[in-house]
Amino acid sequence: MSAPAISQAIELRHRAEIEAGSLPPLLVQAEQLAGSVLLGEHGRRRAGMGDDFWQYRPAQPGDSRNLIDHRRSARGDQQFIREREWQIAQTVHVWVDQGGSMRFASTPDLPLKIDRARKLALAASILMVRGGERVGLTGTTLPPRSGNMQILRMAEALCIEDEADYAPPEHHAMIPHARGLFISDFLGPFEELQLALSKAADRGLRGILLQVLDPSEEGFPFSGRTLFESVSGGLRHETLKASALRDRYLDRLAERRDALENLCRATGWRMGLHHTGDSAQAALLWLYHALERTE
Amino acid sequence: MTMLAGIGFTTPWLLLGLLALPILWLLLRAVPPAPVRRVFPAVTLLLGLADDESLSDRTPWWLLLLRMLAVAAAIIGLSGPVLNPAPATTEGSGPLLVVLDASWAGADDWRKTSEQITAKLNEAGRAERTIAMLRLTAPEPLQFQSADVWRKRVAGLSPQPWQPNPDLIAASINHIATVDAGFDTLWFSDGLEYPERDQLTSVLGSRGDVQVFQTAANRLGLLPAQFVDGAIELSIIRSNLGLEQQVIVLAQGVDPGGTMRTLASATVDFAIDDDKASAKLILPSELRARISRFELQRIRSAGAVALTDDSLRRREVALISSQTDNEGLVLLSPVHYLRQALQPTAELFEGGLGDLLPANPDVIILADVARLAQDEEEQLIEWVEKGGMLLRFAGPRLAASDISRNEEHPLMPVRLRSGGRSLGGAMSWGEPKTLAQFQQDTPFFGLTIPQEVTVSSQVVAQPDPSLADRVIAELGDGTPLVTRKALGQGQVVLFHVTANAEWSNLPLSGLFVEMLERLAVSTTAKPPREDELEGTVWTPINVLDGFGRLSEAGTLGGVDGPKLVSAPTGPDLRPGLYDSGSRKLARNVLRVDDQLQSAIWPNDVSVISAAVVPERALGGILISLALVLLALDVAASLAVSGLLHLSRTAALLLGLATTGWLGLPAHHAQAQQSADLLGLSSELALAHVLTGDEQVDTIAFNGLRGLSNTLLFRTSIEPSVPVGVDLERDELAFYPLLYWPITPDQPRPSAEAYSRLNAYLRTGGMIVFDTRDANLVGSGASSANARKLQQLARSLDIPPLEPLPADHVLTRTFYLLQDFPGRHQRGEVWVEAAPADAEQIEGMPFRNLNDGVTPVVIGGNDWGAAWAVDQNGRPLLPVGRGFAGERQRELAHRFGVNLVMHVLTGNYKSDQVHVPALLDRLGQ
Repeated sequence: MSAPAISQAIELRHRAEIEAGSLPPLLVQAEQLAGSVLLGEHGRRRAGMGDDFWQYRPAQPGDSRNLIDHRRSARGDQQFIREREWQIAQTVHVWVDQGGSMRFASTPDLPLKIDRARKLALAASILMVRGGERVGLTGTTLPPRSGNMQILRMAEALCIEDEADYAPPEHHAMIPHARGLFISDFLGPFEELQLALSKAADRGLRGILLQVLDPSEEGFPFSGRTLFESVSGGLRHETLKASALRDRYLDRLAERRDALENLCRATGWRMGLHHTGDSAQAALLWLYHALERTE
Repeated sequence: MTMLAGIGFTTPWLLLGLLALPILWLLLRAVPPAPVRRVFPAVTLLLGLADDESLSDRTPWWLLLLRMLAVAAAIIGLSGPVLNPAPATTEGSGPLLVVLDASWAGADDWRKTSEQITAKLNEAGRAERTIAMLRLTAPEPLQFQSADVWRKRVAGLSPQPWQPNPDLIAASINHIATVDAGFDTLWFSDGLEYPERDQLTSVLGSRGDVQVFQTAANRLGLLPAQFVDGAIELSIIRSNLGLEQQVIVLAQGVDPGGTMRTLASATVDFAIDDDKASAKLILPSELRARISRFELQRIRSAGAVALTDDSLRRREVALISSQTDNEGLVLLSPVHYLRQALQPTAELFEGGLGDLLPANPDVIILADVARLAQDEEEQLIEWVEKGGMLLRFAGPRLAASDISRNEEHPLMPVRLRSGGRSLGGAMSWGEPKTLAQFQQDTPFFGLTIPQEVTVSSQVVAQPDPSLADRVIAELGDGTPLVTRKALGQGQVVLFHVTANAEWSNLPLSGLFVEMLERLAVSTTAKPPREDELEGTVWTPINVLDGFGRLSEAGTLGGVDGPKLVSAPTGPDLRPGLYDSGSRKLARNVLRVDDQLQSAIWPNDVSVISAAVVPERALGGILISLALVLLALDVAASLAVSGLLHLSRTAALLLGLATTGWLGLPAHHAQAQQSADLLGLSSELALAHVLTGDEQVDTIAFNGLRGLSNTLLFRTSIEPSVPVGVDLERDELAFYPLLYWPITPDQPRPSAEAYSRLNAYLRTGGMIVFDTRDANLVGSGASSANARKLQQLARSLDIPPLEPLPADHVLTRTFYLLQDFPGRHQRGEVWVEAAPADAEQIEGMPFRNLNDGVTPVVIGGNDWGAAWAVDQNGRPLLPVGRGFAGERQRELAHRFGVNLVMHVLTGNYKSDQVHVPALLDRLGQ
């Protein structure tokens, strides 16, 4: 990684730390703990490996002697074994759309959509890492790990941009029963997303879709003869009177959002909407609640 | 030409193009504006959305209107519209002769006249007539050419500063006679009468119609200024009577600053029937001498300008005589007759030469003065060489002295024989001599010699090879009476007789005054008469053009004196400034007794005097309007299609506007610098010269820091942080002491740096040179540093030096010292030498030495290194060994303290030795 990229990554991490600093550590609600053996701070409400006390149970044959809790056993004749709650770290897969369509801001005052998306993703990651979770990207680029170093690695990985206009969601190498956080404008081909989400659902992943849109994409404040282009110029649409398209465009946008909602409902995901004109804090707060909420 | 609403069109059929405008409207309306390109990621949602057919975007109506106007303006512009098309007055055919008076009288409204000429040319050009032009003031052979050719040449036809005279009219008639065919005539008259015009009118009338264009303007002329009874008389003549008029005359000249400006003005009032009016202007002679021209306000014409020459300027003459004490004998005073002769025309000063020379008079007259003081003589020679005129008169003293006896004195034109000669006295046979006729090439040529003028005594010139050239007047027997020689740019003239009536009666005659005039000692109050200028030739220096502007005369030929005064101006006699020898004469367009008369035309000539509104082609304006509209259309189109970012353009303009403020940082820098200087001036700081050798500079800085600390601890001097000065850039005035360590390879300061160093030394600064070589090789010998010091100090203003004497004030300004060690111990210290008359007073321990501070202290003990401390105040470099070394360092510091005390308090400590005596005296 070149020096500018590193400094860019450091800058991104810095901004994300600022965002994350104002929220309490986030504990991701874990639903499915089976199959995972890694220690974390989430009690899995059953006896197992962990630090927190779970229950005393009478010693049974076969139990190792050194597991006997003598303080409890000394109260009576029966020997007890102190069991601990089985704790496990939740794994969160993050995917941020790095496609060209995200590198857009309608006015210089607004941030690029991709900047906002990265910031939110990394802020959420920081919260989760502080909560002891393991965070990583979807795909094989950055497998989930815990610890602060992972934040820096994520920041680096998030800085890699995709040349294509609309990047499809990465759905490979997802750990079963982990959680997912997909941030994008979801303006690209719908089938890809459908495929990714259904695959995730197959693996038992639950998660959040956060749609990040520019205010102009929500309001369509155009008029006159206009030639609309995608960011790389690959897609074009010319109209003689843009103002006449507004209502139909808004209908289509609502349609797309409905489809997303339906998809989420079908796969057990949650859907969120964020505009780059709004504060990132509100979006992070929403992410926090959404990730915290028990299903 | 077709006329529509007062506007004529040269090609009216082009206006049919206007019919195409509605079609164009429809066409333009159908074409939508160019699309705006917008990046829009949500374009995926737009794909497939078709435009509503009925909703195509249209060009706004105001943009269409703008374009229509542009096209319409272009069409109308191309159809050749003409505002105020001239009525066809010169209808007719065949050749046309345009006659111009082109005299100074028409110069004032020449612009209007040339517009009219152009209008007539255009008209004639449309009628396809050939044209010839004839300027009566500068007639040339007639050339019948097309109007286009002449139109280009109209600008080159300028009025001449004279009126058509009979010769010019005759030449014009000759030119007309060479043309066979008949032609019509257009005559642009300036409205003044001049001789022989009737004849020309009849010649032209015989060839065809004659039409005269004449503006009804009143012509004014300014007569030459005259000096009458101490005032300048300014007279104005006019051609049209019958109205009251007020004219302002401006006197212009060079102000003391050297710029031309109006120095004074006078108002001249005409009563109803006056054709001439005058005003008087009384000015101090200084101001009067500055005036170079008078002119009528707001009239641009050579006739409205009166140049001035020497006649207004009174020359300043200094009279110096050897006898000033015999007040009773006025008539015997050597300068009495000079005074009488010059009083009316010149400013006279009398007094000593030393007082009068700084006033820089034009002429200095020495009446019978033989010897001058050496320095006065040198000043006088210098003054003559710069163009002054020295006029000497002989007399008993000159005859008795041996000035210019064996060798020619610079301030005498000839060598003199001793004693002079006496003619016609009681003891001699001869008669008093009369004057011989003045020779052709002398300045006196043409003066009449009265018979009664005789010379009875004179000093006699030694015959020399150059004598014949120097004689400008002689006696009847051929002995020189007046001799002259050039000296530098000036001249020395000697009258071989006295300036009073002792030796001759020349000073009693009118010839004496005239001779003084001819020598330009005095100036006439009146312009010279014709006969006074007989035999002189005057060359023009500057000449006037028809508009009254002065220009270099170039190679114009000379003019005879009488003609210069009397003849009317013409091609051979241009008005301007003329020069003959040392005299200047101004010739103006008008002479003193000239008059102006309005032109009177015969009845068969039609005279048009109304001012014509010039016709004006509108095509250019309309086409430019079309271009402007098209440019607006470009901007508007861009704005409509969203490509013109108003905010960005505004920002750009704002940016351009703010570049004007880029000058601000310079002011900041200056303010910063002056703040620094203010800080330096409020606190005392020791300074060292930056040598460029980093180690030496560091040690010097640390050394001065150590010395500053010592001063702070021990004395009331509290220096701030030492400063390293760059001699090329920094101001030295703030530092009382400059420590200058010498390195062999430091650069030599520039000349400006040296001049500042010298100024620093002169104003009480002190430089301590330290060769840092312990004087190992002895002073004046050749250690590299010592050589460098000699090289550096060569350009400095350093007084004689001596080794620091034991009773020098440096030994006791604070500490009592006899030894001045630095890091080295033995080196001698050199200071300014005591004056030779310094003596030890009885009972005093020291001599009464020089009162000032020695400007330099030169040594080689490397004091800086001994003083040097680090930031914590610990010595930086070892000095000597053990306790003896510390003692040496201490002495070095004491020497530093003494140095600074010496430079700050001067000889105060030296005076302190007198305190016991003073107290003793006070006690009594």
